[in-house]
Amino acid sequence: MSPAPFDVARGSAFRPSDRTALAYVSRDGALALYNDYATHRSTLVHEPVLRGEDLEVRARWRGAAPGPRTVSVGGRVQGYGVFTFPYGPVAMGTAEAGAFDLVTYGERILELVPTVGYKDRGIEQAVVGRTVEDAALWVERRAGVFALAHVSAFLAAAEAAAGRSVPERELWRRALAQELQRIQAHLRLLARVADGASQNVGAAQVHALEEELLRAISRCFGHRWGFGALLPAHPSDRLDRNGRTELADRLGRISRGFNGLWETFLTSRTFIDRIQGTGTVPAAESVRWAAVGPTLRASSIAWDDRLRQPSVPYTDLFVPLATEANGDALARVLVRQEEIRASFLMLEQMLERWEGVGAGEVIPSPGIAPSRGIARVEAPNGDLVYDVTIADGRVASLQSRSPSEANWPVMALSLRGAVFTDFVFSLESFGSSFAETDG
Amino acid sequence: MTSWIRHSAARGILTSRYPDRAATDEELPEAGRTPTAHPEELARLSDGERSLCPTGAIREQAVDQGRCIRCERCFAFGLRPLGSPAMNVGTREELRESAGLADRRPTSVAPFGTSLHVFMIDVGSCHACNAEVLALGTPYYDLNRLGLFFTNSPRHADVLVVVGVPTPEMVEPLRRTYEAMPGPKAVLAVGACAIDRGIFADGPRTGSSVGEIVPVDLYVAGCPPPPVAILEGVLALAGRGATPEERR
Ligand code: SF4
Ligand code: SF4
Repeated sequence: MSPAPFDVARGSAFRPSDRTALAYVSRDGALALYNDYATHRSTLVHEPVLRGEDLEVRARWRGAAPGPRTVSVGGRVQGYGVFTFPYGPVAMGTAEAGAFDLVTYGERILELVPTVGYKDRGIEQAVVGRTVEDAALWVERRAGVFALAHVSAFLAAAEAAAGRSVPERELWRRALAQELQRIQAHLRLLARVADGASQNVGAAQVHALEEELLRAISRCFGHRWGFGALLPAHPSDRLDRNGRTELADRLGRISRGFNGLWETFLTSRTFIDRIQGTGTVPAAESVRWAAVGPTLRASSIAWDDRLRQPSVPYTDLFVPLATEANGDALARVLVRQEEIRASFLMLEQMLERWEGVGAGEVIPSPGIAPSRGIARVEAPNGDLVYDVTIADGRVASLQSRSPSEANWPVMALSLRGAVFTDFVFSLESFGSSFAETDG
Repeated sequence: MTSWIRHSAARGILTSRYPDRAATDEELPEAGRTPTAHPEELARLSDGERSLCPTGAIREQAVDQGRCIRCERCFAFGLRPLGSPAMNVGTREELRESAGLADRRPTSVAPFGTSLHVFMIDVGSCHACNAEVLALGTPYYDLNRLGLFFTNSPRHADVLVVVGVPTPEMVEPLRRTYEAMPGPKAVLAVGACAIDRGIFADGPRTGSSVGEIVPVDLYVAGCPPPPVAILEGVLALAGRGATPEERR
């Protein structure tokens, strides 16, 4: 794919500003793209740019003030008969605390303005001064459903700061844990989209598979959401040979169950009709607003940290990369279901080849001088960045940029001109989490 | 549609036998149980060992189940996960004083019939507690079989389930949601965050507990509590709670 479709300025000068977010590489890997949030400009530059240390990832997105803030993607629409319909922060069902302003004249959504930050628990501030192991308990409780990705990124950043190299088998364990949670997160999203489309039986069946996966995770790590699983010296690691065989069996059953269900979903016209063409984000907008993860890949941009910034064990595995062209809710669902299969495939490879681990032993050694480390992992919702400074064996500063946070602007854009009933499909197909955004 | 029926039939009945039968290991994994030890063993712990607990839950005679976040650090010095789902449920006092071994029946606090409508509010969770509450509605737990239902409005709710640690911005919405409920009503605080702020107890934006904002009738301990424990909490509010012995 040539980089031509992107509506961006070309140039080679790139100055990181305070709000610079991310770099993306076009499919042939020749060009990288930077989004600058201070000026809303995007810049295409030639490779090589992604060279570990040289890559300055600045994650300071949020303003100085904690608490709620709106995600604005342009000036407010005004006019005769235009009014705002507020929703949240108390939501229906088991949804998270977050709010939306739906600007409308009654039939279509003219504009959607999400308000994030209701759940801002001040985690980034609170961990300052704590040891890495104590801070990790906070980090994994930032977004429990993505805990394993967050704690992996945090530990990797802390280890980079401390200059520690991590034993390979530990990296395998992190990858295994993350792929398990990725499948679970994608199943959950699929169930919620199906639920939105009143596919009650289908949704219930996917939820049942999710529950089976939670039980499998809990068998390996002693906790349904994997809290503590990747922390040093956590006691309940059952991934010995027997445990791995049992896990492989369970995964086989879940995988077969999923394949059968998915075929039925594809034959359900009501399901496909509701999400096809709904909540579309064109590739140029995805790039301009620095969307990440399945959202970006659903708009045909082939960026995935597991391939673009590979670390052990992904360097050693066959990692399939799913992309879709249309950028609609269906494309996002398709990308995720492909990724479910891809993760099953990777888990199969891992369980075959990996020798298992002993108890965790990765405690960054205390350094006197402050040192900084940056790590990125491909979380279920996309590129997750942790930027950690360690001084004296304690966290001196922590900044992060979560994939949920990155995807709110395009989520808001995707509903411009949509009818009210599209809201749920757009919201659920992006799958952004308020807890992950707010920190 | 017929193909969906085929799928369901092929999978058979998945639903838990709980509470008629004891919870299985699958339903109540170790991290869902209450870490504890005999009071004498607890009393023997050194201050150094006690201070390893990130939430200060380990006290002289008992482990404060309400504070504990199930990090399992204390396993290194002899505490072990014990108990049944009923052990996770109690008043604040019961959870604080319980060594996890006492025989107690969660108090039935509200004058409800057997059928209940439940509304959940998130005041600052990590989303895992939301997910465990949601799980109650899915085939493995299916709370409808027990005459318990989710509702989408506090105006139709008998029970308010609260998850998460209240951020300053959610204090007022929580209060107003409670006020919007018709009486008689009860509040179930689910998860360490909602009980006593969990890991966030000394955080910069998490200064108040749910119990200081609305009156809480029962608490469900865990981080997050497994679905069977949350189910036990709702049943207790319906006057159908069990003693730990009955559900062991
Ligand atoms: S599990 Fe963790 S929080 Fe609970 S008592 Fe043990 S050390 Fe404390
Ligand atoms: S109690 Fe634990 S699982 Fe529940 S919201 Fe708090 S941190 Fe998350």
